[in-house]
Amino acid sequence: MIRSLIWLVGALLLAGIVHIVTVMGVPRFAVADPWQKIAARAGEEAFTRLPRAAAGETPLAGLDPTTTQAVCRFALDKGPTRIRADVADGYWSLSLYDRRGLWVWGVDNRAAEQKPIDILIATDVQVAQLRETLPDELDDVVIVDWAGREGFAVYKILVPAASREAEIEAVLASATCAPASLP
Amino acid sequence: MRFLVELLLTSIVALALGLGSAWYMVSAPRIGTRVGAWTAVPAISAETADPYSRARIARTGEIAMGAGEGLVFIAEHDDAGEPLDGACDWIVAGETPTARLWTLTVTDAEGRLPPSVDGRRSLTSREILRGADGRFAIVVSATARPGNRLPSHPSGRLRLTLRLYDTPLALSPEAGSAMPRIERGACR
Repeated sequence: MIRSLIWLVGALLLAGIVHIVTVMGVPRFAVADPWQKIAARAGEEAFTRLPRAAAGETPLAGLDPTTTQAVCRFALDKGPTRIRADVADGYWSLSLYDRRGLWVWGVDNRAAEQKPIDILIATDVQVAQLRETLPDELDDVVIVDWAGREGFAVYKILVPAASREAEIEAVLASATCAPASLP
Repeated sequence: MRFLVELLLTSIVALALGLGSAWYMVSAPRIGTRVGAWTAVPAISAETADPYSRARIARTGEIAMGAGEGLVFIAEHDDAGEPLDGACDWIVAGETPTARLWTLTVTDAEGRLPPSVDGRRSLTSREILRGADGRFAIVVSATARPGNRLPSHPSGRLRLTLRLYDTPLALSPEAGSAMPRIERGACR
């Protein structure tokens, strides 16, 4: 009796360890995380428009089918990344995600007050360099201090009615995502 | 001999329990706050994400709504606990928490959108008809219905997703729980 109880407690403890190791290990060994799914559809350093979700087609899981979106993967090895885009009349949001697909930073139409998007994503070191001599052209840029080396941006715009789709796709097509040179 | 058998048995039980519970917790959002039939998907940001959300995102590859963006609620059962099924109409009625905008979509359990004749993929807060008191009723149905109708799959399990954009609720899903009720309508 005591003996089987000890075995049971042992099994539960071991199960707990297996549980924790598995959950912690999944992000490391994932083969279909957001980064890889985007990599399969889009190159680096440019926005790629995703097809809109429709019956039988889900471009990337988790996105609202009411919105249309473009994604851009960036790496900061060669320099900071600058994202510029026109904005639409209605709801839009630009979100930055880290390499693991976790949300880090975002701006939406209310926060931006309908000004065009102009942000610069830079690592600690690059931010320090920029602070020393900020070029005039970067005066109005929002600088985002990036903890990792890689990430991706999702720019999405609400399509309130099918009739406005063409206009909104044009706004989406204006988005650029390119490495910027440091002074 | 007896020791070895017991060790083997214990290891198998531990592995099955550990892997099984890990899979269960990671396969769908399980730890969100429940409001009626709705489960709030925990708002995810790189700083605060829990290990289960991290693992779920890595496994499904989903682009989760950011912590500052809004809040997502999903429902796979009605208020009576019945699983949502495409063979029936489902009535989503009442009000939503304060938000600048919300959208309601219906998918199957794998997240696929239903076929739609007019290209409608969702209903938004801006286009639905409301009563004088601001309350609304939406019929989720595979066949044409008057009023606010969201086309659904004609059969199989359904999942409703309510996305609240720019809502003060994003910080604490417990606060204000004015979520719409989900009730069963006619079945075919």
